[in-house]
This record gives sequence, structure tokens and C-alpha cells, in this order.
Amino acid sequence: MDIQYTGEHLAYGQIGNLLVIFSFTFGLLSTLSFLLSLRKEGVESDSWYKLARTSFFIHASAVIGIIFLIYYLIHGRFFEYYYVWQHSNSILPTRYMWACLWEGQEGSFLVWTFWHVVLAFFILGRRNTWTAPVMFTVMIIQTFLASMLLGLEFGGIKIGSNPFILLRNHPDFANLPFIQMPDYLSRISDGRGLNPLLQNYWMVIHPPTLFLGFAATAIPFAYAIGGLITRKNREWIAPSLPWIYFAIMVLGTGILMGGAWAYESLSFGGFWAWDPVENASLVPWLTLVAAAHVMLIHRKNGTALGSSYILAIISFLLILYSTFLTRSGILGDTSVHAFTDLGMRGQLILYMLFFVIMSAVLMWINRNALKGPDEEESLSSREFWMFIGTLILTVSAIQITITTSLPVINKVFGTNMAPPEDVINFYNSWQVPLAVVIALLMAIGQFFRWRQSDTRTVVRKLGVSFVIAIICTLLYELAFEFTRFQYSLLLFTSLWAFFANLDYMLRTLKGKISFSGASVAHMGMALILLGSLVANGEKQVISQNKLRVDLGKDFPNNENILLYERDTLPMGDYYVTYKGRQKEGIHIQFEVEYFKRDLDNGQLEKSFSLFPSVQLNKQMGNVSEPSTKHYWNKDVYTHVTYAEMEGGEKEQQDDTYKENKPIELAIGDTVTTSNSLVVLEGINKELDRSKLMLNDNDLAVSARLLVMDVNKDLYRVEPVFIIRENTMMNRPVEIDELGLRFTFEKILPDENKFRILIAEKKSNSRDFIIMKAIVFPQINILWIGCILLMAGSWLAIRQRLSENKRDSHSNITPEV
Amino acid sequence: MKKSHILAIIVIAIGLAVVVSSISNSSTYAPFRTAMESQGKSFHVVGKANLQKDFIYNPEVNANLFGFYMTDNEGQEQLVLYNGTKPQDFERAEQIVVVGKMEGDQFLASQILMKCPSKYNGSEQDRLKVAGEQAG
Repeated sequence: MDIQYTGEHLAYGQIGNLLVIFSFTFGLLSTLSFLLSLRKEGVESDSWYKLARTSFFIHASAVIGIIFLIYYLIHGRFFEYYYVWQHSNSILPTRYMWACLWEGQEGSFLVWTFWHVVLAFFILGRRNTWTAPVMFTVMIIQTFLASMLLGLEFGGIKIGSNPFILLRNHPDFANLPFIQMPDYLSRISDGRGLNPLLQNYWMVIHPPTLFLGFAATAIPFAYAIGGLITRKNREWIAPSLPWIYFAIMVLGTGILMGGAWAYESLSFGGFWAWDPVENASLVPWLTLVAAAHVMLIHRKNGTALGSSYILAIISFLLILYSTFLTRSGILGDTSVHAFTDLGMRGQLILYMLFFVIMSAVLMWINRNALKGPDEEESLSSREFWMFIGTLILTVSAIQITITTSLPVINKVFGTNMAPPEDVINFYNSWQVPLAVVIALLMAIGQFFRWRQSDTRTVVRKLGVSFVIAIICTLLYELAFEFTRFQYSLLLFTSLWAFFANLDYMLRTLKGKISFSGASVAHMGMALILLGSLVANGEKQVISQNKLRVDLGKDFPNNENILLYERDTLPMGDYYVTYKGRQKEGIHIQFEVEYFKRDLDNGQLEKSFSLFPSVQLNKQMGNVSEPSTKHYWNKDVYTHVTYAEMEGGEKEQQDDTYKENKPIELAIGDTVTTSNSLVVLEGINKELDRSKLMLNDNDLAVSARLLVMDVNKDLYRVEPVFIIRENTMMNRPVEIDELGLRFTFEKILPDENKFRILIAEKKSNSRDFIIMKAIVFPQINILWIGCILLMAGSWLAIRQRLSENKRDSHSNITPEV
Repeated sequence: MKKSHILAIIVIAIGLAVVVSSISNSSTYAPFRTAMESQGKSFHVVGKANLQKDFIYNPEVNANLFGFYMTDNEGQEQLVLYNGTKPQDFERAEQIVVVGKMEGDQFLASQILMKCPSKYNGSEQDRLKVAGEQAG
């Protein structure tokens, strides 16, 4: 029974399993001890706290240990481990090895856990009354996440998926015959490899950033839960403000990096496609932003406590929901990049429900404390407009959530709803108007003072930016044609939001950077809206093939164009040549040269070359990667949508003819071959009979064909058609230089047409690509906006931190 | 009436509008049979491409026309035409979803969504291939 397997390294797996169990057990122990340390009426019991902290350190070491152990196994190519076999192979460059870690669900849970550990060190660093309640909540989350790696099975219920499972024990392999051989390992030459889509530098930095954003969202949540548990219902807001800005900054960066990855290396031609997986991380970001704003309102005037709690809590719950959507396999049909189901759907639902119920119960217990003062906010107060803004953000989040959740709704209610046919358009038709309002609020919001302001002063202060925005809008309208009124509205409001905040920073704040967080972030957000509007709304597909007929008005234009090797076609302002292909490692690169016509001498001058490519991957299928030329004011994006992958060169020397193509021509008609134009000029009845060796009774005519090649050289040929004693014969002619053969097959008297057969030599078939080229104008505005948004959030973190410090020094409770 | 109440009503109204528009704009997963009964109406059809039959793709004639035969989950086969290039790795897709409508006896697809589980999780085929290569 016992097979002595050779070549395995089992010790690592045993250590790994031990660490997995440690991480779970000590996570649980730490959670319970943090809870118990809270129990004595505000006085924290030191021994429980110490135990909790020690357990946390063991848990943290275990998590870090697991990560490095998996990396070591991937690096050492220990394919006896299923995870290593599944996610890596021996030709994988070292720089992508971390991406193997988070390609699988287990690894991405680990990255998430790891960031909680890092953030927890900051929480534990300076002990105060918040440490225990916040750590308690964080550790519940950690314990749930640690259980995702357990890989235990009780009577058909699967708890977690263990990353250290051996290949030969994995259900997919265990029953295969070769697995029973002692030396099975030497028969496994290589791993399955990393998904080609992930072999990209963005995929090395995007997932960890996104998961840091996920982890950061847990901290304001933990403060909120801590506030509910300890009944310090107002005090939790001040210390969690820096964290919520941190979460906004990091999660935002993570989402935008995902957009940049999609733009740079995916082939859908854009940076945002309202894909369910993208939406799943955007929604919590929107609610985080809303939460940050209501928490600010609370800090200023003591209202909005209930909405602060709800939004801070819901942001984290939405992170869990997003985890559920992407990992349970439920998105299956609607998203291309969700994980497949690992059989953990039940566990994920439990994870989500636990926190939903816990939050709901705690909120209910504290319901009386959450009621705000019964006073009306003035229409001229800043908080009123901020509150409207958070409502709009919430509506935006709800709209995205509902449409993204259609598969979940189908599961629950047994319906059959699918996303709208044109999903992107559907989302835009809701989100653009909402964005218009958001931009408007960003423009005017800061000019209102807290509680009450003089409306006339506000209007006066907004005047300058309003005029500048109007002028810029007109300039844009002249440069681009905005087809929809709502786009023009968004254009104006986002420009106004930008200039109004710039104005506020320069004139009202007198350029004091440390107070300008909000202004800078709003300027960034305004530019993101403006950049997406111009780049996406005004993008131009220049590779349109105007010769072909559409399938119907509901179908997109023909956006792909065929380009033969060494052929040049006009595209937009450019002339484009396909120069040929070459193999670079695992990539086939297609060289595409762009020319512009010089206005002075009319000559074509080279502008730039692009190298769109196809990454070859036998295991998982080829992936094509676009290539983009970046200018300061626009991007030219080029993508090969189709290319023949086999037999590129083998037919080059083949001198035989391909099959005849029959063509029916009337006199004066033109037909194209792969390398020339052919015109039927006329029919010649006066043939030189002796030269053609015709009998006296033969009826003979020839077709006078004029052939013009790409260099405009002319050839004249006359294939002959003969009727001899009731049989039809023909004398084909060839043009060697062009590899063409013409046969006069038949006269069609009824239609007054002549049937000519044209055959081409096999060597005539030239390499070609089908490509798509898109010009994205002003996309850099979007990226500048991203940087400003991040910078603004960073300034806000610093401002809130120094405020908290000042408050604690002066021992005055924050203004209530 | 207080401002907050007016606001609450407006938000609830917008919320309802969102729900109604999401549901009324949604398409439906359906077999070809249903799509045929409602000509010109858009559906999502789930099924598999019939790899036995030839694809219609002749880029040198029209780079933007791709046709194939697809069997839906009820087993009905149907010619699907798509206004675009043949998707990368179309043959590998284990399941496809076509979005579009019936026009006459053709299904005109505006989108083809392919599910290639092999990119995310080892498919049966992958595993057998590895096993076969090694054992053989």
C-alpha cells in the first residue's frame, strides 16, 4: 500500500501545514483574548491583553512564514506541490514569481491577511483605549481569512483550501495511474504555468495594492465596531479619519492600477469596461468616500453619526461582498476575470453574513445613541451640500451594485436576467448624470462655510472659476464634437470643479499646502472625470474599414482592418505599414510603422513604430498584447486582433497555383487579385489563327485583359476561348512576374458576361494582420488626475493626524 | 415638511428608478428557440461552438465577419454571425455566451463572451495532457 515516492521534499509541506494551523489557532486565541481584555468595564485586563498580543505575534509570524514558504517553493520549482504546479513553470522569469503567489485564491487571501498583519502592527504600536476593541475586530476578520487556508473536510463540508496540498493528493490527480508510480515526480516535466495575462509588471503591483486597500478598509470598520462595543459612539470618528483617507488613497490607487493594466496590456481597448470585477472594487471606494465626508460632518457639528456608522461599516461589508462575487464563481457567465469556484461558496457566505449580522445587532443595541440632534441644516451650510454629495455617491454605488448583482439575484429568485445588451452604455447613462452632480458639488462645496454662509459671498467667489470654466468648455467644444448634451454638461462641471478648487487653494487657503488636501483631491477627481470623458467619449477608431457593408444599424462599425505585409493604408491622420513579424522569446512581435504626410513636400515621413504582439502559450492559449504610442496630448493604441499563427513562412517558395477563382465580368468591369487590378477591356475576335494553331472551323475569341500591379506597371494578356466541334476549349495565359494565370472559360450570352478563371501562385499569399487602432485624446489628464487624487488624500491623512495629535495634547475632546 | 424628509423621498425615488431601469433594461438568458420566437429582441444565449463544422472566417475578404455554428443548452444548433474578428483562442472556449438577436434564420451577435476555465483553473483536458505526456 505504502508507496515510497522519490524526489519529493515533504518537510516544507509539513512546516507549511503547521503554520496554517498556527495562523488559524492563534488568530482565534488572539480574538478571544482581545475580547476578554475588554470585559472589565473599561479597565483593560493586562494579562488577557498580553496573551492576545502574544497570540497575535505568533499568528503574524505564521502568516509571513506561509508566504515566504510558498514563494520559496515556487522559486525552487517544487512541482510535487499542487499550488506550485498549477501556478508556475520552469521557464517563468523570477520577476513574475510573486504574481504566481496571488494568481490562486489561497495566495490572494494570504496577501490580504498579510496586509492586515502589517496594519495591526501600527495599531498595536501605540497602545490606547482603542487598541483592544479595534484589534478584536481585525482579529475576527483574520481568523475567518486564516480558515480559508485550512483545507479540512467534515462530512462533505469543505473548510478552506490548503496551499500545501501535494499534487498526488489533489483530487484532480490522485486517481491518475501514473501518480501511483514511485518516481511519478520525474515524469512531471513542468508546471502549468502562470496565466499569460498576469505576466505583466502591472500584475506584480496591482493586486498587492488592491489588497492593501481592502485591508485598510477594515480599520475604519474596526473603529466603528469598537465604538459600538465600548459605547464610545462619538469618539471613534476622530482616530479613524486618517485611516479612512488612507483606505481611499490605497484602494483608489489599486483600482486605477487595474485600469492602467487593462489599458496597457488587455485588448478591449480602454481602461474601464464596467466589468463586474472592476465594479466590485469601485463600489466600496465610492462608499468609503461618502463615509469620509459624513464623518467630517460629524467631527465638525456632531450630526450625521448614524450615516457615519452605516457608511463606514457598509464599505467593509461591500469589500466582503466583492470577495464573495469574485471568488464564489457566481459571476461565471458575466465576467472574464473572476476566480473559479473552489467549493468555498458556503464559507464565503458565512463569512459575509457573520459581519452583516454582527454589525446589524450592534447598531440595533446602540440605536438610541445614534440619533442625531434634531436640528435642520441650513441650505447655505457646507455640511448640507456635503451630505447631498454623499447621497449621490450612495445612489451611484447602489446603481452599480444592482446591475453587477444580477447573477446573484438570478440565483436567489430563480430569474433569468442578463446584463443589458450594451452594458457600458447602460452604466454611462446612469453614472454620467450622477457624475455631473458630483462635479458640481465639488466645485461649489468648499466655498460654503460650516453651519451658515453668506450666499452672495459664495457666488462672488465662484465667479472667476465659472468664467474660466465656460471659456475652456467652449474651446473644448470647438476642438471636439461632443455628441451628447450630458457629455457637454460633464465637460463643463468637471472643468469648473477643477478651477474652483484651484481657486480655493490659491486665494482662500493662500496656497497653504498642508490644508489643501480636499482641494487637491477634488482637483484630481475633476481631472479623472474630464480625462475619462475626453479620452473615452472622443476616442477615435482610426482603423475603420470603410469598404465593407455593415450587418445592420445596431452593429458596431467595422473596426478592424486587414493589412498585408509591406502594404500601406491610410488611417486617420496616419499612413500605416505592416513591416513584418519576428519572434522575441515567447512573443511574436508585429512591426507596424506609422507615417505622416509632410505638408510641404507631400512625402510620407515616419512618425513612429509600434510592436503589438501575441504572447504564445500552449497551455493556456495565446494572448495578444497591444502597443501604444504616448504623446503628451494623445495616445495611439494599436492592437492585432487576428493573425495567422501557423505556417507563416512555409509557403513562400511554393510555385504551384492555388485553385481557380471563377469571376464573371462584363466589358469594362474590374476585379482585384492579391497584388493587382484586372480590367476586361474587350473581346478580340480577330485572332491570328496560324499562330494559335487553330483549325479553320474553330470559333475562337480572346478576352483582352489589362492587369495593373501595385507599382502601376501594366500587363496585357489575352486568354483564348475556342469552340471546336461542339467542345469548349481554352488556352490559359500566365503572368510570371505576378504569379497569375487567367483562363477564359465561358461566354455567358444571356447576361452579356464572360467567365474568367483567375489562379494565383501559392507564393502570392502574403502575411497579413488584422489590426485595430484607436486614438485616445488627452488621456494624460486622467493619469494626472489620479496622481492629484492620491496626493490630496495623502495631505488629508496628514492633516487629520496632526489635528488628532493637537487634540490629544491639549486634552480637549474634539468639538462636538 | 423638513428638508431631510424631502431629501429622503428624492433618494428613495431615485433608488426605485435605479431598480426599475436595471430590471427593465436587462436582457435575458434564453435558448435559440426563444430568440427565434421574438425576432429582433436581444438575448444572451449560452452554449458551445460546434467545432466539427467549419467556421466562416475569411479575413482577406472581410476581416469583420466571423460566423460559426453554436449549440445552445437545449441542443439546438444555430448559425451565429458576428461583426468582428475571430476571437483569440475561440476553439478553446469551453462555453460561450453570445449576445444578440435573431434576424431571419441567422443569429447576429454583437458580443461573444468566452469562458476559458483553463486560464484560471486546470481543465480536465490540461490534466490529461500533462499526464499523457509524462506516462507516454
